[in-house]
Amino acid sequence: MSATASSTTSNTPLRDRMHANDEAFKTTGSVFGLTSLARKEDDPGTYEAVWHILSNLCNTAWATGCKVSSSPIAAEGGDALWALHTATGEAVCISRGISAHAGLLSDMIKHFIELGYEDYPGFKQGDIFENNDPHYGGIHSPDFDMCMPLFYQDRLVAWASCVSHVSDSGSVTPGSIGFLNPDCYSDGIPISMERVGEHDAFYPWYEMRIRSRTRTPDFVMGDARGRLAGCITVRERLHEVLDKYSLDFVLDAMNEYVEDSRRYAVKRVKTQTVPGRIRKSQFKDLAMKGKRVLLSKQNIDCMFNLPMDLTINADASVDLSLAGASGTVPFGENISPTALKSGLMMGYSHVIGFDMFNSGPTTAWNVEMPPGGSWANPYPVDYQAASGVAWAPAVTWLSSLYEVFGRLFQMRGFVEEMAAGSGSIMTAEFAGINQTGMYLTGLTLEQASQGSPARGYSDGQNSAWCIYTPEGDFGNAEVSELYYPILFLGRNVAPDSGGFGKFRGGLGHTAVWMVYNTPGLEYQCGDAGMRSKTVGNHGMYGAYPTVPDRPGYGHKTNLKQLIDEKKPLIHERGGPDNPAVTSKIIAELAEDSAVAPFVTPEALVDYDVIVHPISGAQAMGDPIERDPESVVSDLNEGWTTERVASEIHGVVTTQPNDHIVADIDATVKRREQVREERKQRAIPFREWWSEERKKVEAQENMDNAVRVMWETSMRLSPEYGESIRKFWNLPEDFTFTPDAD
Amino acid sequence: MASFDKADIEKLIDGVLPWPATQEMLKSSKDEDRFDKYVEIMQERVDFDDPILLPLTPMLFIVNDKGSRVVKCKCGHSFGDYRVNWKLSALIYVRDDEEKLRQVYVGREMPDPAWLQLREYVCAGCGSQLEVEAVPRGCPPDFEFLPDLDTFYREWLGRPLPDTCEFKDATLDKINEWSN
Repeated sequence: MSATASSTTSNTPLRDRMHANDEAFKTTGSVFGLTSLARKEDDPGTYEAVWHILSNLCNTAWATGCKVSSSPIAAEGGDALWALHTATGEAVCISRGISAHAGLLSDMIKHFIELGYEDYPGFKQGDIFENNDPHYGGIHSPDFDMCMPLFYQDRLVAWASCVSHVSDSGSVTPGSIGFLNPDCYSDGIPISMERVGEHDAFYPWYEMRIRSRTRTPDFVMGDARGRLAGCITVRERLHEVLDKYSLDFVLDAMNEYVEDSRRYAVKRVKTQTVPGRIRKSQFKDLAMKGKRVLLSKQNIDCMFNLPMDLTINADASVDLSLAGASGTVPFGENISPTALKSGLMMGYSHVIGFDMFNSGPTTAWNVEMPPGGSWANPYPVDYQAASGVAWAPAVTWLSSLYEVFGRLFQMRGFVEEMAAGSGSIMTAEFAGINQTGMYLTGLTLEQASQGSPARGYSDGQNSAWCIYTPEGDFGNAEVSELYYPILFLGRNVAPDSGGFGKFRGGLGHTAVWMVYNTPGLEYQCGDAGMRSKTVGNHGMYGAYPTVPDRPGYGHKTNLKQLIDEKKPLIHERGGPDNPAVTSKIIAELAEDSAVAPFVTPEALVDYDVIVHPISGAQAMGDPIERDPESVVSDLNEGWTTERVASEIHGVVTTQPNDHIVADIDATVKRREQVREERKQRAIPFREWWSEERKKVEAQENMDNAVRVMWETSMRLSPEYGESIRKFWNLPEDFTFTPDAD
Repeated sequence: MASFDKADIEKLIDGVLPWPATQEMLKSSKDEDRFDKYVEIMQERVDFDDPILLPLTPMLFIVNDKGSRVVKCKCGHSFGDYRVNWKLSALIYVRDDEEKLRQVYVGREMPDPAWLQLREYVCAGCGSQLEVEAVPRGCPPDFEFLPDLDTFYREWLGRPLPDTCEFKDATLDKINEWSN
């Protein structure tokens, strides 16, 4: 067996062991310096069996912890995660749930070790440590990260960790999707790298702080107890595993699982992709001008630049750069590099390293630190930057990773592995008194069930996927109705929500809610990664990207009258130019195409209606290559419209009876005509470039948000700025000029 | 190591492979000869004889055209040196006002043209829509992938190409030509 830097019999301080691991990796290129996998080679059956036992142990913790938690977000939506780590913090395996957090939990443990907590306050069985502070690597305040050292025979042998998303983080606005937070001081209750309990119990003052500083303390404490219960479950089950399989075997195997996973990912890159350089632009809007905001500095529109520059090297290692990322925003949508990297680890596990999901695959990356002062690396340049919903730009950026690797898999012929980009994440959050007289704020989980991306061989699946969790699960409508003063009037597949291409993305859905039995309810249509003014840069192989996120609502409606008169209500969204909220009901304030995100100008009241659409995922391929039979199938299901079938897909149909059928001959002719029309209306790129460069230089028809974005991107990443000047042949000193305040 | 029939791979590409067989492909260890079979299939489907070096997209291929490595559409239309973003040699149609955007996105589904332009890259040969970009004005076109072809063939496939070509992005060289 090869020597490992993380010896199972070592009494060396954890920080020294961690540094030795780093050194061993640098020297050998293998995690822990494991140049061979001795346990796997000697006893592959037990090695595999213990892996599954440890994974199931985490899943048991998830099931236990979510039920103990009692908050709708965990108990109904499963929005939490448990993990098992080595003594030096590497994630070995994780539960189901919000897998985006595994890297954060790993880095948190490493951070506790690096900061010398082993000496003071020390680590002992039953200690509970937490962090949710982005300044110390957290993602955003509602995600409480917890870890507990696990001892066996008086030795710290592993860590259990957990994250749960609480319903209210005590931020300046109710709830947990704090996009409106203007600065970090408004982000909510901070737990800054703290020991929050001992002997398997929270300190009294921990609970007192939560009771005085969050709006739903019973749920927030319920989540805390759920986290604790899950971590204790991990500990107890791990003891059984250690008793049965021996400490030496399990600790060696835990290290090997991480290195094994690294090898798997590297091999997968080498056998299924191609070396070279990938560039993918991505953008996201946050249009807040003229809306209800908290501080005057927030009366602005913002645009994020989310570039992905990725190089696959000859040794199958991956370099990743965010050069060109735009500046911070005065909203809760900035993210620490640690959290961003954790999200990347999750995305990468979906597309590359999914055999054993742990810290291994990410060790083969070289992630360049994002430009200081950008949304992806705000501190210390903008120390006050808020992170209330830091996932918002991160998941939008991550969507590129799916398309990028989908392209690479295609080049090697692995069509079954291809995927287009993801859907977006627009949340619905409520705050107010519910039907039992209880104040409540929190999320619905509607957004956790989007369409899945188009594949290289088929459409994506409807309402079955979500970028931040492998389990697409929007929970039961009836349970949401128990918590919140709303009634579901509809949950419908949303036609044409999966982009337009040879293969379309899985479709999203629209939830239609009626507010009921409350003195007043705030609807916060939140941004956890959505677009409203733009669409994703996901025109993969000629497809059109999914439509912008535009919710609707009706305030002071005639719904009660319609109910009393037993007349039809509103159950769906209606067409994009025939919205149900304005055609089927009467409302004093009817909004069908609201630019999200927003908080309703005033509280909603009984019989008000909310139409909340959930995104489908992205398509791939030229729309006129789509099988006409798939188009008519969608027409007959009500999943597409005659306009899209005819004008986008070029399919000619007839309806001899109740069923629509394709006229294949006419479709072939129509599609030939479309090809000719395209050639006639398009111009040579050079011709366009010559005119476009003048418009770029004149900054013609560019919203101020776009100009601010370019100005910060080019300033924070000078080389990136230079490449833009060179491409458009702009003067050396050219900069985009935002409006004066 | 799994191995799949060429006919099944063709069905997969065409989206007609039955789901159980597709699942088998997803679950199995990957077949080492997939790249060669895929290239063989694509070679049979394109309207040119130049040997395919890399399928860049399902419609675009880097080929060896009499000793030059160029990008060609399935129809045979050439886009020139593979190290220059092929988009510079394509036709382009840009939807940057409401009227043009409305032909794709109607009503509440329309993005704002002051924030975004929709660029459609079209093959001058066959009229295929090869890529669509949805970006704000000022964004250079994405050079989605510049392969390191020599490393790929020499070190990853173990069979070097007969000639070599410097791995460099030559897109800005072309822009310089235009600028001067």
